[in-house]
Amino acid sequence: MFRNNYDNDSVTFSPQGRIFQVEYAQEAVKQGSVVVGIVSKTHAVLAAIKRNAEELSSYQKKVIPIDTHYGVALAGLASDARVLSNFMRQQSLSSRLTYDRPILLSDITSRIADRAQTNTQQYGRRPYGVGLLIAGVDARGPHLFEFQPSGVTQEMVACGIGARSQMARTYLERNLDEFEGSSREELIRHALRSLKESLAQDKELTVDNTSLGISGIGEDFKLYEGQDIAEFLETTFENKEQEPAAGGEGMEVDDS
Amino acid sequence: MNHFPVGWGRPRDDVYGAYNPSYLPQSHGGTQANPITHTQSPIVTGTSVLAIKYKDGVVIAADNLASYGSLARFTDVKRLKQFNRKAVVGFGGDVSDMQYLDRLLNSLDVEENYGGDAPAESGPHMSAKNLHAYLSKVMYKRRSDFNPLWNAMLVAGLDESDKPFLAYADLLGTTYSSPSLATGFGAHLAQPIMRRAVPNEAASRELSKEQAVECIKECMKVLFYRDARSMPVYSIAVIDGKGVDLKEDEKLENQSWAFAEQIRGYGTQTV
Amino acid sequence: MTSIGTGYDLSNSVFSPDGRNFQVEYATKAVENGGTAIGIRCKDGVVLAMEKLVTSRLMKKDANKRIATVDRNIGVVSAGLVPDGRHFVSRARDEASSWRSTYKAPIPVASLANRMGSYVQAFTLYSSVRPFGITAIVGGFDAETEVDVDGAVGSGPKVGSGGKTQGVKEGGPYLYMIEPSGLYWGYYGAATGKGRQAAKAELEKLNLDPKKGDTISLEEGVKEAARIIYVAHEDSKDKEFELEMTWISAVSGPTKGRHEDVPKELKDEAERLAKKALEGDDEMEE
Repeated sequence: MFRNNYDNDSVTFSPQGRIFQVEYAQEAVKQGSVVVGIVSKTHAVLAAIKRNAEELSSYQKKVIPIDTHYGVALAGLASDARVLSNFMRQQSLSSRLTYDRPILLSDITSRIADRAQTNTQQYGRRPYGVGLLIAGVDARGPHLFEFQPSGVTQEMVACGIGARSQMARTYLERNLDEFEGSSREELIRHALRSLKESLAQDKELTVDNTSLGISGIGEDFKLYEGQDIAEFLETTFENKEQEPAAGGEGMEVDDS
Repeated sequence: MNHFPVGWGRPRDDVYGAYNPSYLPQSHGGTQANPITHTQSPIVTGTSVLAIKYKDGVVIAADNLASYGSLARFTDVKRLKQFNRKAVVGFGGDVSDMQYLDRLLNSLDVEENYGGDAPAESGPHMSAKNLHAYLSKVMYKRRSDFNPLWNAMLVAGLDESDKPFLAYADLLGTTYSSPSLATGFGAHLAQPIMRRAVPNEAASRELSKEQAVECIKECMKVLFYRDARSMPVYSIAVIDGKGVDLKEDEKLENQSWAFAEQIRGYGTQTV
Repeated sequence: MTSIGTGYDLSNSVFSPDGRNFQVEYATKAVENGGTAIGIRCKDGVVLAMEKLVTSRLMKKDANKRIATVDRNIGVVSAGLVPDGRHFVSRARDEASSWRSTYKAPIPVASLANRMGSYVQAFTLYSSVRPFGITAIVGGFDAETEVDVDGAVGSGPKVGSGGKTQGVKEGGPYLYMIEPSGLYWGYYGAATGKGRQAAKAELEKLNLDPKKGDTISLEEGVKEAARIIYVAHEDSKDKEFELEMTWISAVSGPTKGRHEDVPKELKDEAERLAKKALEGDDEMEE
């Protein structure tokens, strides 16, 4: 990659009107493992691939519950996401304390967007290096928002961000018309299948590397990890072999 | 001699050093400013606010008088403020604090209606319950700063699931809720009458709009009979699923002062 | 562009020897890449319209609004960097709100444009910030009827000392456009963004200048705005777009003095006519 004169900070426009530092921050999102989100008329679901640093280490946190009615999934710098998710928790609590109502997803999304924008217009800061999918149910129904380091946010029907997420998006676009009427289980299956599309050929979704967050009308946001998602994986990929039946712990060696 | 410790019997200054008065007010040799004081009493005031829940909504009323002490100073003051089509606030107490709160609510309504992606048919996001939560926080904050807004308020309307909602908030930050509520004098004079109509929540779910309005009008009349800071022109609002029906120039009907004959112990009577 | 790379374009707030501020010019480039935004000041109101380019099929339709409300009676639409547009709107709302708390009345559109011009200009003064990558169109309707002072008690005297002047009419529709430099002008018809040249050419054909006779009505304005956005989109025909339109009338008009979405039926009708007008043009060319 070549350096140019205009990419030192986020307060310099290039002659084409671009801000390179912001564009580079978007690249950090593409380094993160893939996350997807889908909404139906009744539910919103997030699904994520978790990486582990090494065989004996724990897996990343990819889906973060924020309030009882929504959560976020992240791709990119996890520590930036922690800053943003803490902020979102504070804002959500303050809505409940001041008005006794859960914060609207459009509201919380624009609040983090405004914070992110500030980082792209003032010297001495850097843009956030993380992309978020914000999903849940509020007074106006189920929603899914995408947040980018530039401060751009968009309400989506379905979305995938992170490494190799183009494949997941292709799956989502192909099945776009089905989402609205999908049941809770169908929506989860779509999310897992699109996630699988973005996986390298020799990789599988397992109870260790997959996270799932679901909320619905009258149903709080719930995070599924570990054995809790075994059943979802089984019903989604019926013909695929799951983990070894006995003595599974630590015996399976990653082929990487 | 006064109550300040400088004047108390003390060990000798030449042995133990002088008393350090720095924490005292300047008037007593100290460095502190005088204590800051805020509002100690209301100035121009409105009297009672009444409200009663019925099966589809809430009826709320207050008269149009603003008194300056015992002087009936302003006779066209509207003390019911519509927030949106789900909520009305009725103010008792200091009128300038009411004006401040009205401006506060107006700004809040402007913010609430920036809209963004809200579909037009989704209705207001701020229910009467949310508004009451907000107002009670404002009142509690101000009383904790020892700078209260001198009001007692009723918030009437619908909650987020469009059920009738009625609650009270006042200058102390106190809140409570009941099928019928009254502030000020009304709490003593009108509430017992309203409780006959709605002794409990179940009864309010049976009450019709006509019965509720009739009950409130009767109570306004009783208040005018017995509350010397009241007047016979009042505002009344009905909040239900269809929105707010606010009338601001109603007059008491069918007054009968016959009961006055029975009153003894005032004026020039000798028996 | 000449003199690129001579070193005078690397920092904001620096003049080149020929007196230019390059960073501001580059910010203008960001505006020119954004979807087209227009505003029309009609006889009885203002219309704002935006060509919203659809970047992904996965986006929720008719969500992601780009025209924002400030106070109750003012709308803002901007072309360029979307997050900068949100920053602009957020500041405009703060200005309107602080005006309200000072003067107990809504901010006049001209005053808002003035304050926002100053705010945007401040971002060209320091090397620690960059200019706004947007050009914003601010449209609104100042009340013609007497506005109650917020929270006033009673109605006050009708005549005499402290009374009201009868029959005075002020206010009306206003439209301003604020550029990245902080420069702003009042307009009858304003256009910015990628398709601004085509849009301006169309705007100039309309009767918008009251000095030259009767100007178009608000409803005609809505239809023209839709058509102009469709015309401006012709150059990037391969890309899909959504039309977003809002309007503001007097208190006596269809929006009751508020800034609102153009109702669906009217917008659909305007889009139908816009498409028809374009087809007509194509046929004539063939």
